[in-house]
Amino acid sequence: MTTRRAFIQTLGATGAALAGFTACGGGGGKASGSGGGTTQPPIPVPASPILVIVNIDGGWDWLNVLPPNAGANLGIYQAKRATLGIDGASLSDLGNGIGLNGDFTGMDQLHALGRVAWIEGIGMPNPNLSHFTSIDLWGQGAAMPAGTGWLGRFADSAFSPTGDVLRGLTVTSDLPVMLKGASRSFVSITGAGGYVYPAYLLSGSTVPDGATLETGWGSALTATSTDPGYVAAAQAGKLFFDAQNNAAFGAGGSLATRTTTVLYPGDATYPVKRLDGSSLTSALSSQFKLIAQMIAAGLPAQVFFSRLGGWDTHSNQAVDHPNLQRTLGGSIKALYDDLATITTASGNAQDRVMILAYSEFGRRVQENNGGTDHGTAGLSFCVGKAVKGGLYGGYPDLSNLDANGNMKFTTDFRSLYATVLDRWLGQATTTDSLLGTTYPRLGFL
Amino acid sequence: MAVLNAISSWSVADVQHFARRAGFGLTPADATALQAQAPGTAIDAWIDGTAYDATAFNTALLTADVVTEPLVSANTSAAGSVDVPAVAAPHAFLAEGTNAWRNNLNTAQALCAWRMQQNPYAFQERMALFWHNLFATGWHKVSNAALMLNQFQLFRSQGLGKFDDLLVAVSKDPAMLIWLDSVLNNASGTNVPNENYAREVMELYSLGADNGYNQTDITQLARALSGWSFTFAEADYIANPTNPTQLTLATGRFKVYDGSAIAPDTRLWWGGAATTSYSMHGTGTISLFARTLDITTTANGWAKGENAVRSIVSVLGANCAQFLAKRLLTHFVTSGYSAQDLNDVAALIQSSAFDLRAIMKILLKSQYFFDPTNHYSLVEGPVSWVVRAARMLCPPLATASTQSPRGYPAWRLVTNSANTFDQTGMRLLDPNGPNGWKEHTAWLNSNTMRYRTKVAAALTLGETRSYSGTTYPLFPAAVTTDWFPAAPASAQAVYDRLVALLQPAAIPASVSAAWLSALWPSTFTWDAAAQTKARELAFLILCSPAGQLY
Repeated sequence: MTTRRAFIQTLGATGAALAGFTACGGGGGKASGSGGGTTQPPIPVPASPILVIVNIDGGWDWLNVLPPNAGANLGIYQAKRATLGIDGASLSDLGNGIGLNGDFTGMDQLHALGRVAWIEGIGMPNPNLSHFTSIDLWGQGAAMPAGTGWLGRFADSAFSPTGDVLRGLTVTSDLPVMLKGASRSFVSITGAGGYVYPAYLLSGSTVPDGATLETGWGSALTATSTDPGYVAAAQAGKLFFDAQNNAAFGAGGSLATRTTTVLYPGDATYPVKRLDGSSLTSALSSQFKLIAQMIAAGLPAQVFFSRLGGWDTHSNQAVDHPNLQRTLGGSIKALYDDLATITTASGNAQDRVMILAYSEFGRRVQENNGGTDHGTAGLSFCVGKAVKGGLYGGYPDLSNLDANGNMKFTTDFRSLYATVLDRWLGQATTTDSLLGTTYPRLGFL
Repeated sequence: MAVLNAISSWSVADVQHFARRAGFGLTPADATALQAQAPGTAIDAWIDGTAYDATAFNTALLTADVVTEPLVSANTSAAGSVDVPAVAAPHAFLAEGTNAWRNNLNTAQALCAWRMQQNPYAFQERMALFWHNLFATGWHKVSNAALMLNQFQLFRSQGLGKFDDLLVAVSKDPAMLIWLDSVLNNASGTNVPNENYAREVMELYSLGADNGYNQTDITQLARALSGWSFTFAEADYIANPTNPTQLTLATGRFKVYDGSAIAPDTRLWWGGAATTSYSMHGTGTISLFARTLDITTTANGWAKGENAVRSIVSVLGANCAQFLAKRLLTHFVTSGYSAQDLNDVAALIQSSAFDLRAIMKILLKSQYFFDPTNHYSLVEGPVSWVVRAARMLCPPLATASTQSPRGYPAWRLVTNSANTFDQTGMRLLDPNGPNGWKEHTAWLNSNTMRYRTKVAAALTLGETRSYSGTTYPLFPAAVTTDWFPAAPASAQAVYDRLVALLQPAAIPASVSAAWLSALWPSTFTWDAAAQTKARELAFLILCSPAGQLY
C-alpha cells in the first residue's frame, strides 16, 4: 500500500497522465458472496452520460462503513473503537481485510453486481480538520482564483455561454462553491411544481409581464456595471427566468408528474427502518425522486448535485450512524433501480447515470465518549453500470497515523475528479487545465 | 485606510444608509426627522436605544399573541404545571390555533421577524441578527424552539457588551451547550473529550481557521470545557396556555458537572436524575496557546475552565480582533475592505477593549462607514430584505395594533406555508451548520432570486394564504397614504415615491423608463387601476438587481 501511494504521488509530481490503475481485491472480477447478485460486466461509457453528485455532508465516519475485518488494521481498530467498533460478523467481505457494513442498505447488492468503485483513503495534503476549509477545497478541486468550483469551471468550459441553462442543476436550495463558475453557475431547483415567474399573481392586470421584469435583469447584464452585488443579482435572476422558460415546465411551472414503482427510504412501506423502528428520513430520497422526475421529463441536465447532512457524529454515533447509512445506501439503491424504469431520448436512464458520493473528510480513529471527532482521509465511491467495480484507493495503515491520530490519505481527491471529467464528462483535452495540473486517473472507468 | 473620525453632518441619504445597515430602514419622513438632529447624538441614542418610546411595542408584544417568547415551545411533558393566562386572538402573526404553542420553528421565526419589523429599538434586533449569524445555532439539533429564543434574547441583552463576556455567555447558553455537544463532553478520568465545541468556538466564533491555534490547543480547550452543562427546575418549564399539563423547557442554569452537588437539589441535571452527581470535568492543568492554565480554579468568580475561554481574547487578542473586524465589516460596512481598513478596525476593537458598544459607536459614526462608495455596497440578507420591505409597505404599529383584524403581516404563514426564509437562503434560528451564512453575493443564486420574486409578489400584490378555513393576506400592504401621502400627479411621481420608500440602489434610467411606458403607455390618472399598477411597479423595484442591494 505504501509503495502504491508513493507511486501515485510520483506520477502526480511528474505529470504523467492517464495512468489507469486497475482494481485490487474485492469486486472487480468476482462476486463478493453477499447480496445475492452476480457480477455483471460494465457497459461502455454512454454517449450522453449523466452525473449525480451526492454530498455526504459533515465528514462521515467511513471507517465504520468499510471497517477492517482482518489483517494488521483489525486489532488497532478494535482497540480504538472499543464501544463504536462494528462487529465483524455483521460485515460482508470486500477482500483485502475490508468489510462492508450491513447497515449500508443495498450497497452489498450493488457491490455484488460489480457496480461500485470504492476509493478508500481519498484525501488531500495538509488537511486542517475544518469542515469549512475542507468543503471549500473539495469544491474548488484546485487552488483556483475567484473561488470557482471544479464543476463550475466545467460549466464555463463546456456549456454554451448563452444556453445550456439547465445542463447543470442542484436540487439543494443553496449553491455550493463546487457549482460556481467564473461566468456561470448551476441552477437550483428544489421542487417539481410552481417553477415559474410569479406572473400568475398578476392575472387580470395588463402589465407587467415576465419580459418586463426580465428587462431589469437582462439589461443589467448588458450594461457596464461592475458592482459585484448588482451583477450577481442580475445573473441569478436571469438564470431563474431563462430556466423557468423551458417548455418542460408546463402550466403553473410544473414538471410532468411521475409515479415510481420503486420504494425509496421515507416511503411508508419501505422495508428498512431506523434502529427504533420508525421510518427512515426522505431527506435524500426526495431529492433523488426529483432528479429521476427531471430526467424522465427530458430536462437537458448533465450534472445533478444532491446532499445528505447529519454525518458530523461527534456524539450519539451508535444510533445516528446506522440510520444515516441506511438512508444513504437505501436511497442510492432505490435511485439505481428506479432509473432502469426510465426511458429517455438518449437511452435507458440507468445506463446513462453514474452516482458519485463524497464527504469532506473521515473521522478520528480513536472514538470519544459516544462519537468521533474530525479526521482526515475519507471514502468516496461511484455507482453505475459503466463502473468497473472494486477497490481503487488504498486503505490507510492504522498503525501509521499522523501526529493528531488521524489517517494518512492514500489517493488525491483530484484523481477522482480527473477520472470523472476525462472519462465520464468527455473532457479528455480540458481535464488537466480545469484542475490546474495533471492527476493520475483511476481505473474504474 | 479606514477613516474612523466621526462625521459632523449628514444628508438624508446618509441617514437612510445608516438606518438600513444599523436597523431595518426608515421611512422618508422618519429619515428627514432624524437628519435634523446632529449625527453624533442621534447615533449614540440609536445605539443605546434611548431615543424611543417602546410602550406601544411592549404593549403589543404582551397582548397581541399568546405566543410570547417564553411560550413558544412544547415537546415534552412532565409533572406539574405552570399557570399562564391565555390571551385572546387575533394573534400578532396568525399562529396556528392550538398548535401554536408546540415546539415550532416557524412560530419562533415569526416572532423574531415580527420583533424586527416592529421594535422601535431596531439596532437591538439588528445586532441580534448579526450575532445569530456569527454564533449560528440550529433548532434541528437543539430541538427546542424556546431554548433557541432564549439564546436570541441573550444576543439582544448582551450583544452590546464586551466580546469576551459574550463569548463566555454563549459558551454557557443551553442551546449552544446542546448544539455543539458540550453537554456530552466528558474528560473525567481517562475519558477522551468531545472536541466539537472547542474547535468551532475558535474556528467559527472567535479566531478563524488556523489563526493562532493548532489541533493540540483544540484538545486542550476541550478538556478545559468538559462537564459544561446546565440544570433546570420546574420554574424553567413553560406550559401550554390551552393545556397547562403540556410543558417544555425554556431556559436552564449553567453548571459545571464536576462531581459537586447542585443546590437546590430539586433542580434536574441535563440528561439525568436529580439524585445523580455527575463528574465529567477534567482536572489538573492544560497547556493552551503555550500557557499553563489550572482548569479547576474558580478565581475571579469564574466557572471551572472559563479562564480557558477568556484566554482566547486575552492571549490571542490581535487574532480575535482581526476575526471580529472581518465579520463587522462584512455585515455593516462593505466586503470590499482593504487590508489596511481591516487593520484599522481591528486596532479599534483592541483599543476599545472589545467593548461592542464603544466599537459600534465609533464605526457607525465614522467617515469610513458613510463614504459614498459604501452606500449600497452590500447585498442585503433575505431576512433583513423582507423585514425592511414590510416596514415600508405594511401599516406601522400604531395603525396595525388598532385594526381588526390587526394589520400585522401573517409572519407565521410567511415563514411556514410560503417557505420564505427557507428558500430565500436564511432559515432563521436553524442554519445548516455552525458556520452560519456567508453574506453579500453568497445570498444570491437562481433559487434565492426566484423566492425573492415570490416574496416581492406577496409584499406588493396582495397574495393570500388560507389557514383553517380563513384567508389571510401574507402582507397587509395597501396603497394607503403611507405609500402615497399625496395623490401622485404623474407616473414619474409614482415611481419617485416608491423609490424613496423602498430605497433600491440606482436603477438605470433606461430600465425605469421601460417599466413606466409599459405600465402607463398613454395618459396617467390616479385611479384604482393606477393603484394596481403602483403595486406592480413596487414589485418590479423589489425584484430588480438594484433592489437586492442596501
